[in-house]
Amino acid sequence: MQGKFSAAAAGLVAAVVLSGTLAGCSSDDGGDDGRVTITVQGMPTKSDPAGRKAFLNQIAQFERENPKIKVVGSDAQWDPQTFAAKLAGGSADTVIRVPLTEPQGLIARRQVRDITDDVKTWPQYSQYNQKLQAPNMDAASRIYGLTEPETAYAMGLVYNRALFTKAGLDPDQPPTTWEGVRSAAKAIHDKTDAIGYAETTTNNTGGWHLTSYTYSRGGTMEREQGGKMVPAFTEQPTRDALQLLHDMRFVDDSMGSNQLQTQADVQRRFAAGQVGMYIDGPGAYVPIVQKYGGSKEDLGVASLPQDGGNATQLGATVAMVSAKSDKARTAAAVKWILFEYIKPFYDPQAARARAEQSSADPEKLVGAPAVAAFPEEVEKQVDAAIKPYINIPVQNFEPYRTGSAGLRLLPEPPVAAQKVYAALDPVVQAVLTKQDADIGGLLKKAADQVSVELERAQ
Amino acid sequence: MRDDLIAVAFLLPALFCFGYFAWWPVVKGLELSFQQTNLVDPAEWVGLLNFRRILDDPLVMTAVTNTAFFAGLALLIGFPLPLALAVQMSTVHRLAGLYRYLVYLPVMLPPVVGVLLWKLFYDPDSGVFNKALGLVGLGPYPWLQSTDSAMLSLVLEATWANLGSATLIYLAAITRVRPELYEAAETDGAGIWRRVWHITLPQLRGTVLLLLLLQLIGTLQVFTEPFVMTDGGPENATITVLLLIYRYAFVEGDYGAASAMSLMLAAALSLLSAVYLWATRRWSDT
Repeated sequence: MQGKFSAAAAGLVAAVVLSGTLAGCSSDDGGDDGRVTITVQGMPTKSDPAGRKAFLNQIAQFERENPKIKVVGSDAQWDPQTFAAKLAGGSADTVIRVPLTEPQGLIARRQVRDITDDVKTWPQYSQYNQKLQAPNMDAASRIYGLTEPETAYAMGLVYNRALFTKAGLDPDQPPTTWEGVRSAAKAIHDKTDAIGYAETTTNNTGGWHLTSYTYSRGGTMEREQGGKMVPAFTEQPTRDALQLLHDMRFVDDSMGSNQLQTQADVQRRFAAGQVGMYIDGPGAYVPIVQKYGGSKEDLGVASLPQDGGNATQLGATVAMVSAKSDKARTAAAVKWILFEYIKPFYDPQAARARAEQSSADPEKLVGAPAVAAFPEEVEKQVDAAIKPYINIPVQNFEPYRTGSAGLRLLPEPPVAAQKVYAALDPVVQAVLTKQDADIGGLLKKAADQVSVELERAQ
Repeated sequence: MRDDLIAVAFLLPALFCFGYFAWWPVVKGLELSFQQTNLVDPAEWVGLLNFRRILDDPLVMTAVTNTAFFAGLALLIGFPLPLALAVQMSTVHRLAGLYRYLVYLPVMLPPVVGVLLWKLFYDPDSGVFNKALGLVGLGPYPWLQSTDSAMLSLVLEATWANLGSATLIYLAAITRVRPELYEAAETDGAGIWRRVWHITLPQLRGTVLLLLLLQLIGTLQVFTEPFVMTDGGPENATITVLLLIYRYAFVEGDYGAASAMSLMLAAALSLLSAVYLWATRRWSDT
């Protein structure tokens, strides 16, 4: 074990070193002539030439419309390990794209810009679905990001249509209740070689999924008490959700034996036809079909099964502006975000042009259901505009589209969501690896831990 | 005098790089552990708050215990194995190069690749270990899936990944032992293990003690295995000090707490090294 180098220590050292070496090296400068340069994440890598070409075309068009803004595309992905160091050194991209789990932490640490004034001047803002925006605001309703409509999804059930058929189940009638999921998982396990239902339990995904399960059963993860949020996941809905997982694992034996899986692990196994069902959004199509080579005909997506909650959890990618951007660059960045990520969802002409471009890109979906970002009449015009370019088997998403429409869309726990998830990962792991797991005791222990974190955060 | 100046001039770039990239971050880390910062706004001095936060975190004790457990297991399994292999390999002359190549091969793999491979091997449903053991009627074993066996599974991988370097170092040291000592022992009727015990080990004690210290320091900083294989699970059974530092810094964005814990780890390792060197100073004398 000699010479082993710690990535964590190296990361910390890098953060500190970068803070010194890169200071003053910002390429994100505004000039005296009013021209500004912004760097924007979201450019596809060279392995996706069609997508990259389309993105560069978008930049060219934006620069034609905004001659005083120069846009530099960045194919860097959101990376929490390097973001703070880059931010400190002034080399962070101006526009960053982060999962919906991140904005609250970034806002609390003041690592992103308040973009309220720039967003409020956008004429369509009043029409924009505020449910999508809630996670991007602070307690004073200041806005720090814009949810990208293309990526906004309600948590749903991803299932393998071929395995359903093989197990004697109707792939056009996926389960709508958790008991239904249990019996379908058992049927898949009994009649095929596949795992009936798979769960992820690491990198905070166990706690994240448990939140979705809890919402679907009418529960909540945090509750206000005496003006402060306290843990609420010791209540019956969360217990019932865990009990079901435990029974599927140990009574029905329909969840396989590997219970320390990441989302990518499950998607890979799903693509290989080894998993019957798991929860995810419709965007799972891209990794499963495009990245891991799964069959697009076999992939079905349904709404999140329910047990009295009539609710599901919101997921999305959020475009934000890094904290070191000055006023001019922030204004330019917001213009870019609106142009690139929002306009194709309310302007039929922009929607058609974008769909035409995306249909040639194997890593883009045209026609995948997303949470409505604008009123119905706007959505209808956009849907009509993109119809000729749809590149996915939309009928496989129909159970998701119809089922999710009637569900309440709930955001993540409002305070310290990541800490809630981190405390619940071990609970889900215990329930799936220990036959004699004491669900009440495990939840109580996690609640004690989370109480301290919530107290500190409020 | 002129020669000295030239020497210093040649030394300066190296000194600058070493100071700026190695020592300056250490100083900044020390400073950060007493601050709260988002790396954007000016940092705020908070005294011992970061240390208090760490001591209040119930996971810290779990991480410390797990790390010590990992180091202990690695010592039991991973420390004698390279020595035994080196002794064995020193007696083999045919295909010696091939054996050395094979034993060093895992070291040449990028650590993450090795860990990911073993993660697949450990899969309880389709992993090669359970499949192979099943052929002789053993298992299936849960490996990473059980709080009882997860840490042992990490140690086995770490031992496989790292034993190559130590084996070659021991092998090189063994070749320096004067052959007449073995010849004399053989004349006196000593078998291979008596020769190892009475000649090889005493002759290698400097190397053994150094590698033991390096292994202790290395294993107490274990990160890649739990990070890639288990993310600290199941039920925090494999969460280690460095994994917790990583979470403080890169999941929670609390760089102050991460630095404070890094400082505490560095202090503990320094103390351990000092005690070790003091305790073994008599045996180190050659």
